[in-house]
Amino acid sequence: MKSGAPPDLKQTQELFWALITAPEGVRAAIDQPSGRGGGIDPAQVDAVFAGDENLPAVERLDIYANMYFFRLLDCLAEDFPKLRAALGPERFHNLVTDYVLQHPSEHPSLRYLGRRLPEFVAGHAPSAGFPFLADLVRLEWTRAGVFDAPDSATLTRAALARLPQESVGEARFRFVPAFALLRFDHEVVRYWRALDEAEADGGATDPAAVPHPARRKTAARVWRKDLVVYHAGLDEEEAHALELALQGETLGRICQVLAAGLSPAQATERAGRMIQAWIDDGILADCGPNTSL
Amino acid sequence: MGHPDSLGHGVGLRRDHFDRILARPARVDWFEAISENFMVPGGRPLDVLTRVRERYPIVLHGVSLSIGSTDPLDDKYLDRLDALAKRFEPAWVSDHLCWSGVGGRQAHDLLPLPYTAQALDHVVGRVQRVQERLGRPFVLENVSSYVAYADSAMPEWEFLAEVARRSGCGILLDINNIYVSAKNHRFDPRDYILGVPKEAVRQFHLAGHSNKGTFLLDTHDHPVIDEVWELYKDAVRRFGPVSTLVEWDDKIPPFERLEQESIRAKEIQDEALGPAPVKTGRGTA
Repeated sequence: MKSGAPPDLKQTQELFWALITAPEGVRAAIDQPSGRGGGIDPAQVDAVFAGDENLPAVERLDIYANMYFFRLLDCLAEDFPKLRAALGPERFHNLVTDYVLQHPSEHPSLRYLGRRLPEFVAGHAPSAGFPFLADLVRLEWTRAGVFDAPDSATLTRAALARLPQESVGEARFRFVPAFALLRFDHEVVRYWRALDEAEADGGATDPAAVPHPARRKTAARVWRKDLVVYHAGLDEEEAHALELALQGETLGRICQVLAAGLSPAQATERAGRMIQAWIDDGILADCGPNTSL
Repeated sequence: MGHPDSLGHGVGLRRDHFDRILARPARVDWFEAISENFMVPGGRPLDVLTRVRERYPIVLHGVSLSIGSTDPLDDKYLDRLDALAKRFEPAWVSDHLCWSGVGGRQAHDLLPLPYTAQALDHVVGRVQRVQERLGRPFVLENVSSYVAYADSAMPEWEFLAEVARRSGCGILLDINNIYVSAKNHRFDPRDYILGVPKEAVRQFHLAGHSNKGTFLLDTHDHPVIDEVWELYKDAVRRFGPVSTLVEWDDKIPPFERLEQESIRAKEIQDEALGPAPVKTGRGTA
């Protein structure tokens, strides 16, 4: 902006933005030109904004700066309650400060503010003492995605039973959009439950004091039934079966894999129980010899 | 007697009240849904809105159109808004006279505009494009503001009136926002009411705010205060019984408390307009 010339609308908005998103606050952004706020000329601020003796312009801009940050903080606290519980409010606040600096919202809806948080926490140096966070955040973000994923018809037991016997082995599953299979490096499903118990404890247990989850390969599925989101830990057998089904393997091939180490009768029973649970939880959309993924 | 297209008295549709609203009839005439909350592929939000829409008129009220931003209008956003409007057929679509971000980044706030000729031309052109894109009534709301611009050449109500006159959009007059901005910028809120063209006002908003000592903050977490009810009365006298909506977005009380606030708005409207003509049972000459 040229000194003395009235600012155009774009310059005004860029200045406003720089001031209200400056991490140390509006005053610091003006007073410390070498700070992260980036060299804002105080004369420019005076020329653009109007205040009065009751409330100077800088303090007025500070109202927006506070609202900017706390709105984003509140949004992420709502979308990632377990992350906040695990870190405690102060560490969570600091994490959000770093996150929104690196990834300001670029979507018109706050719903998507956290979309880059899973990858961000994985590389967030101050959170290095919490190696399980990436897993926990991925679970929370996946739940959010399943919550409002597209609606879909679901496969029923009756529809499965109607498949001609000779083509059952060649049948493939199609999954509903409101479903996800997750693999973790930590026991985050168990940890989630422990956090729930701590929270249900009426404040007697500090969630941040809940022992951190052990490092161990685990898996979970996330699904939605009757508009409510659920997740559950999986044994390796079921995780593998789901993986195969998601990859489009036939029911015959899935049963073959499950049969390893089991008698044919045991394998059939195991596969049957598993698939019935998938149907009852509404994670399968369709099944048939010609079902395309 | 009612305004030609008045929906009556409604409240904002908020997640905390979904179960209650679906469980039994609400003592309100209509609901206002935040557009962005329903711009999702599926799941509970859309299911709830579908069921609410089966029973009540709705208005779609956006917070992210960013009509005053110097960034290009977001076509994807407009597509989603258009799809939502086609699906739910709101009485109208509204958003705010503000900007929300620049350089592709979103503040998720309602940031004030300088009231200059340049900003006026900019906003009018964009409102016209939005109206063409949506092909349905579009309404702009005045926001609460905390800072002003040195080069503003007109008061906000003149700017808003000009936007409405030149673009043909309607006005959503937020009575609480007028009160908050009047205190923050030291103008008479009645000048605002008098400065807005009567024919453009399509809806009122009412809400609570917080007194922070040196300024008022539009928090939507309190009941409407008496001074704002008085201003509402003035607005009803000037603009007639236009659709009125009570917003409560934080520290959300039980739905029944919100119903009471809406019923109070109706009572105040009736009081402001005086007794209805007595029906004699005979036709008049």
